[in-house]
Amino acid sequence: MIESGTIADALVAAASSDRGVRAIEHDGRASVLAYKTLLAESLQIAGALHARGLTTGDRVALVIPEVADFIRVFFGISIAGLVPVPLCPPAQAGDLPTFARQSQHILDASRASAVVTTADVEPLLVNPVRLKPDPTNTADPIKTVLVDELRAGPSLTRPIAVPVEAPALLQFTSGSTAAPKGVVLTHANLHANISAIIGPRGLAVTGSDIGVSWLPLYHDMGLIGMLFSAVYSGNDVVILSPVLFLKRPTAWLEAMSTYRGTVSFAPNFAYDLCLRRVKPSQVNALDLSTWRAAGCGAEPIRADTLSAFADHFAPAGFRASSFVSSYGLAEHSLAVAFAPGGITVDAVDADRLVGHSIAAPVDGSVQVVRLVGCGCAFPDHEIRIVDEKGRPLPERRVGAIVARGPSVMQGYFENPEATAEALRDGWLHTGDLGYLADGQLFVCGRTKDLIIRQGRKYHPADLESAISDLPGVRPSGAVVFAISRIEDDDEVVAVVEARASVASGDVIEQVRRRVRETAGLELDRIIVGPPGTIPRTTSGKVRRAEARDRVQAGTLPTR
Amino acid sequence: MGHAGRVRATFLDLVQTSDAAPPPDPFVRDIVDILRRVSRLPIEPTLDSELLADLGFDSLQVLELVGEIEDHFKITVPPNDLARVRTVAQVAAEVRALVATPERRA
Repeated sequence: MIESGTIADALVAAASSDRGVRAIEHDGRASVLAYKTLLAESLQIAGALHARGLTTGDRVALVIPEVADFIRVFFGISIAGLVPVPLCPPAQAGDLPTFARQSQHILDASRASAVVTTADVEPLLVNPVRLKPDPTNTADPIKTVLVDELRAGPSLTRPIAVPVEAPALLQFTSGSTAAPKGVVLTHANLHANISAIIGPRGLAVTGSDIGVSWLPLYHDMGLIGMLFSAVYSGNDVVILSPVLFLKRPTAWLEAMSTYRGTVSFAPNFAYDLCLRRVKPSQVNALDLSTWRAAGCGAEPIRADTLSAFADHFAPAGFRASSFVSSYGLAEHSLAVAFAPGGITVDAVDADRLVGHSIAAPVDGSVQVVRLVGCGCAFPDHEIRIVDEKGRPLPERRVGAIVARGPSVMQGYFENPEATAEALRDGWLHTGDLGYLADGQLFVCGRTKDLIIRQGRKYHPADLESAISDLPGVRPSGAVVFAISRIEDDDEVVAVVEARASVASGDVIEQVRRRVRETAGLELDRIIVGPPGTIPRTTSGKVRRAEARDRVQAGTLPTR
Repeated sequence: MGHAGRVRATFLDLVQTSDAAPPPDPFVRDIVDILRRVSRLPIEPTLDSELLADLGFDSLQVLELVGEIEDHFKITVPPNDLARVRTVAQVAAEVRALVATPERRA
């Protein structure tokens, strides 16, 4: 890996090898982009972007569903000295109005000079339910450029040199609606985080590693964790369309098997999906014996899911010791901590965890919470658990997770208020709750969503997990939050997506009883609706704040 | 279709109705089978059932459905069309169009 440098420097270094990216599209079509070729094509695209008057530092958005073209254009934008702003394509955004609205919010907030897209997607950017233009919004109209228009014309001879302190990527975090926050990462941030990921305290990547990923490239885990890690280490990587994986989860595992993949990351739900959708007869046709780093992150990690996955795929040579649980967030470039070598489970007393913020190892027959360890801080990086006043807490005390080091973002784009909230005295306040045990990080919820009832604290994620296990409730079909009331305790509300076959009244009773039994909490209101009731991000995480807003505004559909 | 007061026809009505206007649709029975298999619930799809709101599909099941339909009908659904299709009737129309025009299959 290069000592330091920009994304372009990393691609130039990789181009001296014979390696590259194999891109597999939604319909299974595959193409190989050798780093050499990718560099040449990126220089061509960079030239075409310059010919359109775009200059160093301009933000250029890209919304490109095709894997190979996304990669070409991303590197083209970067090599041109411009700042890429990746957007979620329509198929993953849900419906077309949502896609149009989200895109418009991000294009406005990033003040992008242009958006590179395809002929298919371009008309969908016109928003049929667009909000009225904000009179204070002085941004120019969005100019679109089609990928096909960038394939001809004069090429740059070499990448535009930019300092490593310059912005390299503007990454809009999932979970944002009307006021999306753009995480500004510099080339130095990316280099620091990728060094940590592939370094000896991370995955200890060698020249013989081969990455395989179906993760979306508009999202940090796919873009930085899988694609950039491969480019910066000069290794081969196979990138599948997320649509292909979601249509046929076996495609991921078949690619691991066929291309002898050694490293692949995915959220917990993907392991669960493979468990449910890959039949034993298909397992036997797979060879997963080369998979040495099976990363899991981006959402709560369930020990049960991972051990069931390991059992299910053991006949294909999968080993549970390959699991790497991880914790990270876009504001920290990507990764904060990795725990290679299989999962570590900490079984703690549920009542003391939710009631007293103490992660007490279980003794006796009490309600147990099983949490998965995410490892220790990377070299040159620090993790702390702090109380409300920012004072460090001892081991096994639950508090706010804060992090410091060279991977921490510069701030949110043109948003000093949100930046000041997230970055305090050099520490990134992650918004997540956790504790340290033997130096290892355990994550157990979000600070901002904490429910406080009669002086006791409840973590919504725990309540949601308990509710989602009920037979009448859809998987991950629950969101719990508190609505503040003056001179009274918070009103605690659960919104539940019920299975079509179960009566609402029955679901309400099940939910009420389950929360009472597992957490000793009485819910004030239970709202039952069909699937789709709970607002979610494009990556499927529940948007608690938006759910709360909609309940307060009375705009949540129910049945 | 059917008796008075009935506002929605089920797929099976369409298949079995010989004298009604729409002739039996060769795709319909297969699509109903696939919908039921993916749903894993005793659903009764109608033409205007919405996959998410009425049939209880989540976004992952919609993509599973697309995968099963592609395999069965030997077609490829363009990804942008996924965001367009909401009802069962739209699924059937999409499949019919893709089967009829091979050049749209890419």
